[in-house]
Amino acid sequence: MEKSMAQRWQLKDYVFAALMTVGLAVTAKVTQPFASAIPLPGATTIAWAPFAAIFLTLGMARLRRSGAVALMAGVLALILGIISWTISAFLVAALLAAELVGLVSGGFAGKTTRLLANMAFFAATCLSGWFIGVTFLRGTPVGDLAAQWLTQPWVLAPAALVSALAGAVGWWLGEQIVFQLQRAGKLDVAR
Amino acid sequence: MSLAKLPQFLGSVNPLLKIALSIALTACAFALKSVWANVLLVGVLLVLTFVSVRVEAKSVVGVGAFLLIFTALTGTLSGDWGYAGLGAARLLVLILPALLLPATTAPGDLVRAFQAVRLPPFLVLSLMLTWRFLPVIQQEAQRIIEANLLRGVDLARRPGLWFSGLFTPLIFRIVSYADDVTVGLETRGYDPESPRSTSQPLRWRPGDTLFALGAAALLIAVGGLEWTA
Repeated sequence: MEKSMAQRWQLKDYVFAALMTVGLAVTAKVTQPFASAIPLPGATTIAWAPFAAIFLTLGMARLRRSGAVALMAGVLALILGIISWTISAFLVAALLAAELVGLVSGGFAGKTTRLLANMAFFAATCLSGWFIGVTFLRGTPVGDLAAQWLTQPWVLAPAALVSALAGAVGWWLGEQIVFQLQRAGKLDVAR
Repeated sequence: MSLAKLPQFLGSVNPLLKIALSIALTACAFALKSVWANVLLVGVLLVLTFVSVRVEAKSVVGVGAFLLIFTALTGTLSGDWGYAGLGAARLLVLILPALLLPATTAPGDLVRAFQAVRLPPFLVLSLMLTWRFLPVIQQEAQRIIEANLLRGVDLARRPGLWFSGLFTPLIFRIVSYADDVTVGLETRGYDPESPRSTSQPLRWRPGDTLFALGAAALLIAVGGLEWTA
Protein backbone atom coordinates (compact mmCIF):
# COMPACT_ATOMS: atom_id res chain seq x y z
CA MET A 1 0.00 0.00 0.00
CA GLU A 2 1.33 3.43 -0.95
CA LYS A 3 2.15 5.78 1.88
CA SER A 4 0.47 9.12 1.38
CA MET A 5 2.23 12.40 2.16
CA ALA A 6 -0.38 13.15 4.83
CA GLN A 7 0.15 9.86 6.70
CA ARG A 8 1.93 10.32 10.02
CA TRP A 9 5.45 9.10 10.51
CA GLN A 10 5.51 6.08 12.76
CA LEU A 11 8.02 4.91 15.33
CA LYS A 12 9.28 2.17 13.00
CA ASP A 13 10.04 4.82 10.34
CA TYR A 14 12.18 6.85 12.73
CA VAL A 15 14.03 3.74 13.92
CA PHE A 16 14.68 2.55 10.36
CA ALA A 17 15.90 6.00 9.28
CA ALA A 18 18.20 6.22 12.33
CA LEU A 19 19.78 2.85 11.51
CA MET A 20 20.27 3.90 7.89
CA THR A 21 22.03 7.00 9.27
CA VAL A 22 24.33 4.66 11.18
CA GLY A 23 24.95 2.82 7.89
CA LEU A 24 25.86 6.12 6.20
CA ALA A 25 28.30 6.93 9.02
CA VAL A 26 29.88 3.46 8.84
CA THR A 27 30.37 3.74 5.05
CA ALA A 28 32.02 7.15 5.56
CA LYS A 29 34.47 5.54 7.97
CA VAL A 30 35.14 2.48 5.78
CA THR A 31 35.78 4.55 2.63
CA GLN A 32 37.74 7.31 4.39
CA PRO A 33 41.20 5.99 3.35
CA PHE A 34 40.10 5.99 -0.32
CA ALA A 35 38.40 9.40 -0.02
CA SER A 36 41.51 11.02 1.45
CA ALA A 37 43.46 9.87 -1.63
CA ILE A 38 41.33 12.20 -3.81
CA PRO A 39 42.99 15.64 -3.51
CA LEU A 40 40.12 17.81 -4.81
CA PRO A 41 37.64 19.31 -2.28
CA GLY A 42 34.11 17.99 -2.86
CA ALA A 43 35.21 15.27 -5.27
CA THR A 44 36.16 13.09 -2.29
CA THR A 45 32.49 12.00 -2.18
CA ILE A 46 33.17 9.85 -5.28
CA ALA A 47 34.66 7.19 -2.97
CA TRP A 48 31.78 7.42 -0.48
CA ALA A 49 28.89 7.56 -2.96
CA PRO A 50 28.70 3.92 -4.21
CA PHE A 51 28.33 2.60 -0.66
CA ALA A 52 26.41 5.45 0.99
CA ALA A 53 23.86 5.36 -1.85
CA ILE A 54 22.98 1.78 -0.86
CA PHE A 55 21.70 3.02 2.51
CA LEU A 56 19.99 6.08 1.01
CA THR A 57 18.20 3.85 -1.53
CA LEU A 58 17.16 1.41 1.17
CA GLY A 59 15.82 4.20 3.36
CA MET A 60 13.96 5.83 0.47
CA ALA A 61 12.49 2.47 -0.62
CA ARG A 62 11.29 1.70 2.89
CA LEU A 63 10.04 5.18 3.93
CA ARG A 64 8.86 6.19 0.41
CA ARG A 65 7.68 9.71 1.18
CA SER A 66 9.27 13.15 1.03
CA GLY A 67 11.38 13.85 4.09
CA ALA A 68 13.02 10.41 4.07
CA VAL A 69 16.41 11.72 2.90
CA ALA A 70 16.16 14.70 5.26
CA LEU A 71 15.58 12.35 8.19
CA MET A 72 18.60 10.19 7.32
CA ALA A 73 21.12 12.77 6.09
CA GLY A 74 19.87 15.55 8.40
CA VAL A 75 20.65 13.54 11.53
CA LEU A 76 24.08 12.69 10.09
CA ALA A 77 24.65 16.40 9.38
CA LEU A 78 23.68 17.25 12.95
CA ILE A 79 26.09 14.69 14.38
CA LEU A 80 28.96 15.54 12.04
CA GLY A 81 28.35 19.23 12.74
CA ILE A 82 30.00 18.60 16.10
CA ILE A 83 33.20 17.79 14.20
CA SER A 84 32.87 20.50 11.56
CA TRP A 85 29.92 22.62 10.45
CA THR A 86 31.32 22.64 6.90
CA ILE A 87 30.48 18.91 6.63
CA SER A 88 26.96 19.70 7.85
CA ALA A 89 26.64 22.48 5.30
CA PHE A 90 27.40 20.29 2.29
CA LEU A 91 25.18 17.47 3.62
CA VAL A 92 22.27 19.90 4.04
CA ALA A 93 22.78 21.21 0.49
CA ALA A 94 22.79 17.63 -0.80
CA LEU A 95 19.69 16.55 1.11
CA LEU A 96 17.83 19.62 -0.19
CA ALA A 97 18.70 18.59 -3.76
CA ALA A 98 17.47 15.02 -3.16
CA GLU A 99 14.32 16.21 -1.37
CA LEU A 100 13.57 18.50 -4.30
CA VAL A 101 13.52 15.43 -6.55
CA GLY A 102 11.23 13.67 -4.06
CA LEU A 103 8.94 16.69 -3.84
CA VAL A 104 8.59 16.95 -7.63
CA SER A 105 7.90 13.19 -7.93
CA GLY A 106 5.54 13.02 -4.94
CA GLY A 107 7.79 10.83 -2.79
CA PHE A 108 10.43 8.15 -3.30
CA ALA A 109 8.19 5.20 -4.13
CA GLY A 110 9.47 4.84 -7.71
CA LYS A 111 12.84 3.35 -8.64
CA THR A 112 13.55 6.14 -11.12
CA THR A 113 12.89 8.78 -8.47
CA ARG A 114 15.31 7.02 -6.14
CA LEU A 115 17.94 6.94 -8.90
CA LEU A 116 17.49 10.65 -9.64
CA ALA A 117 17.49 11.54 -5.94
CA ASN A 118 20.75 9.65 -5.41
CA MET A 119 22.37 11.31 -8.42
CA ALA A 120 21.18 14.75 -7.27
CA PHE A 121 22.41 14.07 -3.72
CA PHE A 122 25.95 13.12 -4.70
CA ALA A 123 26.33 15.69 -7.48
CA ALA A 124 25.24 18.29 -4.90
CA THR A 125 27.76 17.02 -2.31
CA CYS A 126 30.50 17.43 -4.91
CA LEU A 127 29.42 20.91 -5.99
CA SER A 128 28.68 22.22 -2.50
CA GLY A 129 31.92 20.73 -1.13
CA TRP A 130 33.74 22.62 -3.87
CA PHE A 131 31.80 25.81 -3.15
CA ILE A 132 32.50 25.59 0.59
CA GLY A 133 36.15 24.91 -0.15
CA VAL A 134 36.37 28.08 -2.22
CA THR A 135 34.18 30.35 -0.10
CA PHE A 136 35.24 29.49 3.41
CA LEU A 137 38.76 28.19 2.98
CA ARG A 138 40.02 31.03 0.78
CA GLY A 139 43.39 32.13 2.01
CA THR A 140 44.37 28.60 2.98
CA PRO A 141 46.31 26.25 0.66
CA VAL A 142 43.29 23.95 0.13
CA GLY A 143 40.92 26.85 -0.54
CA ASP A 144 43.25 28.51 -3.01
CA LEU A 145 43.74 25.22 -4.85
CA ALA A 146 39.94 24.78 -4.98
CA ALA A 147 39.50 28.34 -6.26
CA GLN A 148 42.00 27.68 -9.03
CA TRP A 149 40.16 24.54 -10.12
CA LEU A 150 36.68 26.03 -9.81
CA THR A 151 37.44 28.41 -12.65
CA GLN A 152 37.94 25.35 -14.86
CA PRO A 153 34.50 23.98 -15.89
CA TRP A 154 36.18 21.03 -17.63
CA VAL A 155 37.23 19.80 -14.17
CA LEU A 156 34.14 20.75 -12.13
CA ALA A 157 31.49 19.36 -14.50
CA PRO A 158 33.11 15.90 -14.94
CA ALA A 159 33.74 15.66 -11.16
CA ALA A 160 30.06 16.36 -10.44
CA LEU A 161 29.06 13.90 -13.18
CA VAL A 162 31.35 11.17 -11.80
CA SER A 163 29.90 11.78 -8.29
CA ALA A 164 26.38 11.43 -9.71
CA LEU A 165 27.38 8.23 -11.56
CA ALA A 166 28.96 6.84 -8.39
CA GLY A 167 25.62 7.54 -6.69
CA ALA A 168 23.87 5.71 -9.54
CA VAL A 169 26.11 2.66 -8.99
CA GLY A 170 25.17 2.76 -5.29
CA TRP A 171 21.50 3.05 -6.25
CA TRP A 172 21.80 -0.07 -8.43
CA LEU A 173 23.47 -1.98 -5.58
CA GLY A 174 20.82 -0.66 -3.18
CA GLU A 175 18.00 -1.90 -5.41
CA GLN A 176 19.65 -5.36 -5.46
CA ILE A 177 19.56 -5.40 -1.67
CA VAL A 178 15.98 -4.12 -1.63
CA PHE A 179 15.06 -7.05 -3.89
CA GLN A 180 16.91 -9.56 -1.66
CA LEU A 181 15.33 -8.17 1.51
CA GLN A 182 11.91 -8.20 -0.08
CA ARG A 183 12.38 -11.81 -1.22
CA ALA A 184 13.44 -12.74 2.32
CA GLY A 185 10.27 -11.09 3.66
CA LYS A 186 12.30 -8.49 5.58
CA LEU A 187 11.13 -5.37 3.77
CA ASP A 188 7.77 -4.12 2.62
CA VAL A 189 8.47 -1.74 -0.26
CA ALA A 190 6.93 -0.45 -3.46
CA ARG A 191 8.93 -1.40 -6.60
CA MET B 1 43.73 8.89 16.40
CA SER B 2 43.36 6.93 19.59
CA LEU B 3 42.31 9.07 22.53
CA ALA B 4 41.52 7.92 26.04
CA LYS B 5 39.47 10.07 28.39
CA LEU B 6 40.84 11.43 31.65
CA PRO B 7 38.69 12.69 34.51
CA GLN B 8 38.69 16.35 33.54
CA PHE B 9 37.23 19.82 33.83
CA LEU B 10 36.09 19.95 30.19
CA GLY B 11 33.95 16.82 30.66
CA SER B 12 31.74 18.65 33.17
CA VAL B 13 31.29 21.82 31.08
CA ASN B 14 27.88 22.42 29.50
CA PRO B 15 27.93 20.67 26.05
CA LEU B 16 26.07 23.58 24.44
CA LEU B 17 28.82 25.93 25.57
CA LYS B 18 31.47 23.63 24.10
CA ILE B 19 29.56 23.36 20.80
CA ALA B 20 29.23 27.16 20.61
CA LEU B 21 32.95 27.65 21.30
CA SER B 22 33.83 24.94 18.78
CA ILE B 23 31.80 26.75 16.08
CA ALA B 24 33.39 30.08 17.05
CA LEU B 25 36.89 28.58 16.81
CA THR B 26 36.13 27.05 13.39
CA ALA B 27 34.98 30.47 12.20
CA CYS B 28 38.19 31.99 13.65
CA ALA B 29 40.28 29.45 11.72
CA PHE B 30 38.70 30.66 8.48
CA ALA B 31 38.73 34.36 9.31
CA LEU B 32 42.05 35.01 11.08
CA LYS B 33 44.99 36.15 8.95
CA SER B 34 47.43 36.90 11.78
CA VAL B 35 49.97 34.15 12.47
CA TRP B 36 50.21 35.14 16.17
CA ALA B 37 46.44 35.03 16.67
CA ASN B 38 46.43 31.51 15.24
CA VAL B 39 49.45 30.52 17.34
CA LEU B 40 47.68 31.71 20.52
CA LEU B 41 44.61 29.64 19.65
CA VAL B 42 46.72 26.57 18.84
CA GLY B 43 48.64 26.99 22.13
CA VAL B 44 45.48 27.14 24.28
CA LEU B 45 43.88 24.24 22.39
CA LEU B 46 47.01 22.10 22.76
CA VAL B 47 47.12 22.75 26.52
CA LEU B 48 43.42 21.83 26.81
CA THR B 49 43.97 18.67 24.73
CA PHE B 50 46.91 17.42 26.79
CA VAL B 51 45.21 18.31 30.11
CA SER B 52 41.82 16.81 29.21
CA VAL B 53 42.61 13.82 27.01
CA ARG B 54 45.22 11.09 27.29
CA VAL B 55 46.95 11.29 23.93
CA GLU B 56 49.09 8.35 22.81
CA ALA B 57 52.68 9.12 21.74
CA LYS B 58 52.20 7.44 18.34
CA SER B 59 49.21 9.74 17.66
CA VAL B 60 51.36 12.82 18.41
CA VAL B 61 54.08 11.51 16.08
CA GLY B 62 51.51 10.74 13.35
CA VAL B 63 49.85 14.17 13.49
CA GLY B 64 53.25 15.89 13.72
CA ALA B 65 54.51 14.03 10.63
CA PHE B 66 51.32 14.90 8.71
CA LEU B 67 51.65 18.59 9.61
CA LEU B 68 55.33 18.65 8.59
CA ILE B 69 54.54 17.07 5.20
CA PHE B 70 51.55 19.42 4.74
CA THR B 71 53.66 22.51 5.57
CA ALA B 72 56.61 21.38 3.42
CA LEU B 73 54.33 20.65 0.46
CA THR B 74 52.48 23.98 0.74
CA GLY B 75 55.72 25.92 1.24
CA THR B 76 57.36 24.25 -1.77
CA LEU B 77 54.32 24.73 -4.02
CA SER B 78 53.64 28.35 -3.03
CA GLY B 79 57.24 29.43 -2.32
CA ASP B 80 55.92 31.35 0.73
CA TRP B 81 56.84 29.69 4.03
CA GLY B 82 54.89 32.21 6.16
CA TYR B 83 51.77 31.26 4.21
CA ALA B 84 52.59 27.58 4.69
CA GLY B 85 53.00 28.08 8.47
CA LEU B 86 49.69 29.96 8.64
CA GLY B 87 47.99 27.09 6.76
CA ALA B 88 49.38 24.55 9.26
CA ALA B 89 48.24 26.66 12.26
CA ARG B 90 44.76 27.03 10.74
CA LEU B 91 44.57 23.31 10.16
CA LEU B 92 45.36 22.71 13.86
CA VAL B 93 42.69 25.23 14.93
CA LEU B 94 40.23 23.25 12.80
CA ILE B 95 41.36 19.79 13.97
CA LEU B 96 41.83 20.26 17.74
CA PRO B 97 38.24 21.31 18.68
CA ALA B 98 36.98 18.42 16.52
CA LEU B 99 39.05 16.04 18.67
CA LEU B 100 38.36 17.71 22.01
CA LEU B 101 34.58 18.02 21.82
CA PRO B 102 33.70 14.34 21.16
CA ALA B 103 36.43 13.12 23.55
CA THR B 104 35.13 15.24 26.45
CA THR B 105 31.37 14.91 25.83
CA ALA B 106 29.43 11.78 26.77
CA PRO B 107 26.69 10.75 24.30
CA GLY B 108 24.09 11.11 27.07
CA ASP B 109 25.19 14.71 27.72
CA LEU B 110 24.90 15.46 24.04
CA VAL B 111 21.36 14.09 23.89
CA ARG B 112 20.45 16.20 26.95
CA ALA B 113 21.95 19.23 25.19
CA PHE B 114 19.82 18.61 22.10
CA GLN B 115 16.76 18.27 24.33
CA ALA B 116 17.63 21.51 26.11
CA VAL B 117 17.60 23.43 22.81
CA ARG B 118 14.10 22.05 22.27
CA LEU B 119 14.79 19.94 19.21
CA PRO B 120 11.66 18.02 18.14
CA PRO B 121 11.31 14.76 20.14
CA PHE B 122 11.52 12.59 17.00
CA LEU B 123 14.86 14.20 16.15
CA VAL B 124 16.18 13.55 19.66
CA LEU B 125 15.06 9.90 19.26
CA SER B 126 16.90 9.65 15.92
CA LEU B 127 20.06 11.18 17.40
CA MET B 128 19.90 8.93 20.45
CA LEU B 129 19.46 5.79 18.32
CA THR B 130 22.26 6.80 15.97
CA TRP B 131 24.67 7.45 18.88
CA ARG B 132 23.65 4.20 20.56
CA PHE B 133 23.90 1.97 17.50
CA LEU B 134 26.98 3.40 15.82
CA PRO B 135 29.39 1.32 17.97
CA VAL B 136 27.08 -1.72 17.78
CA ILE B 137 26.97 -1.67 13.97
CA GLN B 138 30.72 -1.04 13.81
CA GLN B 139 31.22 -4.17 15.93
CA GLU B 140 28.93 -6.11 13.58
CA ALA B 141 30.98 -4.89 10.59
CA GLN B 142 34.18 -5.95 12.38
CA ARG B 143 32.72 -9.42 13.06
CA ILE B 144 31.78 -9.81 9.38
CA ILE B 145 35.28 -8.72 8.32
CA GLU B 146 36.83 -11.26 10.73
CA ALA B 147 34.49 -14.02 9.50
CA ASN B 148 35.70 -13.28 5.96
CA LEU B 149 39.32 -13.41 7.15
CA LEU B 150 38.69 -16.88 8.59
CA ARG B 151 37.61 -17.95 5.09
CA GLY B 152 40.79 -16.46 3.63
CA VAL B 153 39.15 -13.29 2.25
CA ASP B 154 40.94 -10.10 3.27
CA LEU B 155 38.35 -7.41 2.51
CA ALA B 156 40.84 -4.59 3.16
CA ARG B 157 42.74 -5.69 0.06
CA ARG B 158 39.70 -6.58 -2.06
CA PRO B 159 37.23 -3.65 -2.27
CA GLY B 160 35.47 -5.51 -5.10
CA LEU B 161 34.06 -7.92 -2.51
CA TRP B 162 32.80 -5.25 -0.13
CA PHE B 163 29.26 -5.38 -1.49
CA SER B 164 28.70 -9.14 -1.31
CA GLY B 165 31.08 -9.84 1.57
CA LEU B 166 30.44 -6.91 3.90
CA PHE B 167 27.51 -4.66 3.05
CA THR B 168 24.90 -7.32 2.16
CA PRO B 169 25.23 -9.25 5.47
CA LEU B 170 25.61 -5.98 7.39
CA ILE B 171 22.38 -4.58 5.95
CA PHE B 172 20.50 -7.77 6.84
CA ARG B 173 21.74 -7.35 10.43
CA ILE B 174 20.79 -3.65 10.46
CA VAL B 175 17.27 -4.43 9.23
CA SER B 176 16.92 -7.09 11.95
CA TYR B 177 18.08 -4.56 14.55
CA ALA B 178 15.53 -2.04 13.24
CA ASP B 179 12.73 -4.58 13.70
CA ASP B 180 13.90 -5.58 17.19
CA VAL B 181 14.35 -1.98 18.38
CA THR B 182 10.92 -0.99 17.04
CA VAL B 183 9.24 -3.90 18.83
CA GLY B 184 11.21 -3.06 22.02
CA LEU B 185 10.16 0.59 21.95
CA GLU B 186 6.55 -0.17 20.98
CA THR B 187 6.11 -2.65 23.84
CA ARG B 188 7.44 -0.03 26.28
CA GLY B 189 4.82 2.45 25.03
CA TYR B 190 7.37 4.85 23.53
CA ASP B 191 5.79 7.75 21.63
CA PRO B 192 8.15 9.62 19.27
CA GLU B 193 5.89 12.68 19.27
CA SER B 194 5.93 13.14 23.06
CA PRO B 195 8.75 15.02 24.80
CA ARG B 196 11.38 12.85 26.51
CA SER B 197 11.83 13.09 30.24
CA THR B 198 15.28 13.06 31.82
CA SER B 199 16.51 12.24 35.31
CA GLN B 200 19.45 14.65 34.97
CA PRO B 201 18.36 17.77 33.09
CA LEU B 202 21.05 20.05 31.75
CA ARG B 203 21.82 22.89 34.19
CA TRP B 204 24.12 25.90 34.16
CA ARG B 205 26.90 25.39 36.75
CA PRO B 206 29.52 27.75 38.23
CA GLY B 207 32.16 25.90 36.16
CA ASP B 208 30.26 26.88 33.01
CA THR B 209 30.47 30.58 33.95
CA LEU B 210 34.21 30.19 34.52
CA PHE B 211 34.62 28.43 31.16
CA ALA B 212 32.53 31.07 29.35
CA LEU B 213 34.62 33.90 30.88
CA GLY B 214 37.86 32.13 29.91
CA ALA B 215 36.61 31.55 26.35
CA ALA B 216 35.54 35.20 26.05
CA ALA B 217 38.96 36.37 27.31
CA LEU B 218 40.68 34.11 24.77
CA LEU B 219 38.55 35.39 21.88
CA ILE B 220 39.16 39.02 22.93
CA ALA B 221 42.93 38.37 23.07
CA VAL B 222 42.84 36.70 19.65
CA GLY B 223 40.80 39.60 18.25
CA GLY B 224 43.32 42.06 19.70
CA LEU B 225 46.24 40.25 18.05
CA GLU B 226 44.41 40.14 14.72
CA TRP B 227 43.57 43.88 15.00
CA THR B 228 47.13 44.96 15.80
CA ALA B 229 48.52 42.77 13.00
